Amino acid sequence: MLKQEINDLLTQTGPGTPMGGLFRQYWIPALLADELPEAGSPPVRVKLLSERLIAFRDDDGQYGLIDEFCAHRGVSLWFGKNEGNGLRCAYHGWKYDVTGQCIEVPSEPEEHSFCQKVKLTGYPLVKVGDILWTHMGDPNNRPALPEWEFARVPSEQTFSSKRWQESNWMQALEGGIDSSHVSWLHSGGLKSDPLFKGAKGNQYNMADMKPFFEVVDAEGGLFIGARRNAEEGHYYWRITPWVMPSFTMVPPRGDHPMHGHFWVPIDDENCWVFTFDYHPVRALSEVEVQAMKDGFGVHNEYVPGTFRPLQNKDNDYLMDREAQKRGDSFSGIKGIAMQDASLQESMGPIVDRTKERLVSTDAGIIQARRKLRKAVEALRDQGETPPGVDPAHHHVRSAAVVLPKDEAFIESSREALAVATGVRQTSV
Amino acid sequence: MTAVEYYRPTLLSSCALAATAAEARYRIDGPMMSTRASRVIALDEQAAGIVQRVSELPWSPGAHFLTYESPESVAGLGDSDLDAPDLDAPDLDAPGVDASGVDATLRAVGGSQSLLSDELAEADVAVMVATADSGAQGASIIGNACFMRGIMTAGLVIAEGGAADEAVSALRPHAAVLVVTRDEGDVPEMLTALRA
Repeated sequence: MLKQEINDLLTQTGPGTPMGGLFRQYWIPALLADELPEAGSPPVRVKLLSERLIAFRDDDGQYGLIDEFCAHRGVSLWFGKNEGNGLRCAYHGWKYDVTGQCIEVPSEPEEHSFCQKVKLTGYPLVKVGDILWTHMGDPNNRPALPEWEFARVPSEQTFSSKRWQESNWMQALEGGIDSSHVSWLHSGGLKSDPLFKGAKGNQYNMADMKPFFEVVDAEGGLFIGARRNAEEGHYYWRITPWVMPSFTMVPPRGDHPMHGHFWVPIDDENCWVFTFDYHPVRALSEVEVQAMKDGFGVHNEYVPGTFRPLQNKDNDYLMDREAQKRGDSFSGIKGIAMQDASLQESMGPIVDRTKERLVSTDAGIIQARRKLRKAVEALRDQGETPPGVDPAHHHVRSAAVVLPKDEAFIESSREALAVATGVRQTSV
Repeated sequence: MTAVEYYRPTLLSSCALAATAAEARYRIDGPMMSTRASRVIALDEQAAGIVQRVSELPWSPGAHFLTYESPESVAGLGDSDLDAPDLDAPDLDAPGVDASGVDATLRAVGGSQSLLSDELAEADVAVMVATADSGAQGASIIGNACFMRGIMTAGLVIAEGGAADEAVSALRPHAAVLVVTRDEGDVPEMLTALRA
């Protein structure tokens, strides 16, 4: 249960809000790199943290992310012409470069300096891995570029997708932290999904439906360990890292690629879910990549030509009651991603946390909220840089391990939970 | 066998599109649960100080703030059985170990004493708070008692590094969730979230 003012604090990320201020400390995913595949690509509308922006690449291939609307009459620059060194407004021809600087106002004399005084808000847009990242905060306080392993391995070892989720970012993130729902909601996928099935760890998952949890502080956020009974005298641990503000990784299964998410606010009632799969030491196979494109694993299918999931509110997520009855999927919804999204969207655009009834196994969620709130207040009141900004905090992995019962997962798995270049993930 | 035909949603409010802020107005706003009866039990003296401070915040009358003092024998169990409790991995099936027969003395923040069994009679969640290894015995006894009664448990260990490894090990078999943190402020946060 949260007080309304705390719920507001955590869920509102627009300009001038405390949580919005926190998000603006980080490099966050803005687009997939293939949304702007080449120099001169058509501009793309982007809304992030309740700001309407336009992304484009000039003829030199430089990326820009600027205010969507022309300074002149407020026209959307999406209608503009990507031309040479900038984007020209379709209405009266004002032109802007990738920083948002106005470089031409055709109605004014060429020697006039008027356009130099016009500058739209602009943010950097940088390609790291398959993702275009932006930093929407103070340019004088810009952190080093992100160093997440999925974005740093060779391109043939990684695959990213994104989907629109019609809910506040926080309830989407909480799904990524909440390991206790996996044994129920996602139980069907362990048997059939090509990106999960066959791992020995799945047997432990299915044999013990009542996991116990341990939540441990980490430099960048938390480690959440879910333990189940394994062989005599041993526990099977699945360890999820959360790095502030919104990075989570799913514990791996066998030699399947590892995967995780970034939960990025579009506005207070919508978010982007950036989803990645990668393998630390080998290329993804054609079969694996095709499965990801087909919506298996933690990815999803789309309404063609969009980032809207094929299963969505308009069609009741293509609920299949017969599949639910047969046990093919616990909720009757196909796929891990949409099983989560359908339930999280059903909570409403911003769930009323004053009414929830949490139980002790929700401790990961409780701790994450607490850490976010502390970081927001420390930033607002003392200007303290929040956890997760430092790229050293990005060097984490999820892990799945079998340990003797008396061993603490955090001590025994330190190496498994840290990125080691060229070293295979720790998995069962 | 012919599959049953179900009706498709007819009204906006009978389909997934009803997940809007406007539709949220029609959610039933009635009481969903009675007040929780929480037992917040410190397992060592430093934890007792934390629990004392936390108890000064406003909580529901169902919340009791306590400190574990000592094991207590009950009918059928002699003192000798308490000398060497199986702290690491209590085995309820082992001969001579009957956790349901082990009680404990607890001290309330106000100083009064009570038996663990009495405190748990009406409880629906027990939150154990530990800071040091000396909490292992209490963790084992309270955890067993909660397990036998089907009471939800949580363990909060406030410690730097491995300062409370034994307490963590002792809590692990019994606490449905175990939170290891450096921040005392996590205790009231957890209790608030659980509606203690």
